[in-house]
Amino acid sequence: MASLRELQRSFAAALRDPAVACAVLPPANLAIYRNNARAAFLAALELTFPVVRRRVGDDYFRQLAAHFRERAPSRSGDLHWAGRDFAAFLDDYLGDGDYAWLADLARIEWSRAECSVAVALPALSATALARFAAQDFEHLVFGLQPALKLHSSSYPVITVWLANQTENAPPVDQSLGCEFGMVLPRADHTEVRPINERLFLFLSALQSALPLGDAMTRAALEVEALTGALEFIFSEGLVSSLTLKESPPTTS
Amino acid sequence: MTRLATRGVPPGPIPARAGIGLRSVHHDALLEERPDVGFIEAHTENYFHDGGAAVRALERARSNYPLSLHGVGLGLGSADGVDRAHLERVRAAIRRFEPALVSEHACWGHAGGEYFNDLLPLPATEEAARLLAQQVSEAQDFLGVQLLIENVSAYVAFEHATLSEWEFLGDVVARSGCALLLDVNNIFVSAQNLGLDAHAYISGLPPACVREIHVAGHERNAGVLIDSHGTQVCDEVWELYRLAIARFGPQPTLVEWDNNIPALATLVAESRRAQILLDQRHGLAA
Repeated sequence: MASLRELQRSFAAALRDPAVACAVLPPANLAIYRNNARAAFLAALELTFPVVRRRVGDDYFRQLAAHFRERAPSRSGDLHWAGRDFAAFLDDYLGDGDYAWLADLARIEWSRAECSVAVALPALSATALARFAAQDFEHLVFGLQPALKLHSSSYPVITVWLANQTENAPPVDQSLGCEFGMVLPRADHTEVRPINERLFLFLSALQSALPLGDAMTRAALEVEALTGALEFIFSEGLVSSLTLKESPPTTS
Repeated sequence: MTRLATRGVPPGPIPARAGIGLRSVHHDALLEERPDVGFIEAHTENYFHDGGAAVRALERARSNYPLSLHGVGLGLGSADGVDRAHLERVRAAIRRFEPALVSEHACWGHAGGEYFNDLLPLPATEEAARLLAQQVSEAQDFLGVQLLIENVSAYVAFEHATLSEWEFLGDVVARSGCALLLDVNNIFVSAQNLGLDAHAYISGLPPACVREIHVAGHERNAGVLIDSHGTQVCDEVWELYRLAIARFGPQPTLVEWDNNIPALATLVAESRRAQILLDQRHGLAA
């Protein structure tokens, strides 16, 4: 008689491949478990990637999900994170073809999934800057909301995502070209919004803990434009901490 | 992470009343309407996160109702062992939400590193009972709570089973010190699919082992009953439920409805059907 481990291995093999035998009765009913596993995985992806599904249609999305599951089967009893590698899979699966932009669209939706369950830290207002001397501003390190996700794409995927919040939206002209955007948690939803390239570079620099002066340099942000950028990040609640970067110790 | 007790909300026992499952489509309605139900039950895995709307909704609902946390992902009968990280997240949820009851299933869910995210049936053998009991016992020690283990519905039987389903569950209870969450619909579905005697199933379980009961709807597909949780509870399952509360006494009872989820009022009305039977049983006991 097979051990429990051997039995579960053969049951699992029969779930993957209908041609594999397993000592159960009636064997045909294994299809119910096979379908349950497939449906649960598909449902998790549909929940996470609704706009990808809308753009490709139900049938093709099911095909994508099946191929993705073959390559990246569930590794957890919690399906919430089953789509973690879906965008990378689409990169590989779709290559440089006409639908290559779907991978970046999936990245937006994965960011939404992460944002929707992230903790939002209390946001600072711009008055917090008053705690620091003006000459120290260039050394300030901005702690941004940990849930904030920044995106850049060669394709207009922010526009695609925003245009496809209902079924049957018309296709977006891919010649619109590259776009930048951010995904951030709000009180009762997750917001996706476009930003310009300079703001993207500025936020990316702040997110990597560069002090303000270096972030301005990285984003080629002139002093005249700084006020507007700071107003934006404070008014959107993106700043959760401000600290002065310590000067490296001097040696004599 | 905020612990509820620090906000003055006691964990509170779950009364022997009818409750409803907390589903995201009902979050707002439940908080606004506050229907008179005995408790709420939430799927543990839906509340593993540190933040987000679902966690906030459960924290608010938990302030109004006793809570039962019902896990679906541990696969405690998996011969490859139990995922420690998953168990740690269950423990974090218990510490955060302070449920009065914590339950899981008598099933397995993964093999060879692949998870099937379903409640897969165990063969009713002494080997499987020993393994399940050992892993339930270890989980109870880690979580610091007694687990309620639910019988699952089955669509296949194992050729080499040596025990009845009820002997198997009784053995697990005796070995591990867990209690049972008795799913009456699952008994009905398994009995119909595998030719078991549902009455013998209920009368064969130890009388003091059941701490919660589930009822649910099922569907028939090509001659097989599917535990779909997407319809009203049928008369035959309500009749089995009467038998169950006659044997095990009035217990917290949940009407499960996870697919084709109706309006909150419909769900509450269905739970009232269980409440009427509980009240009749309470009356008999008084």
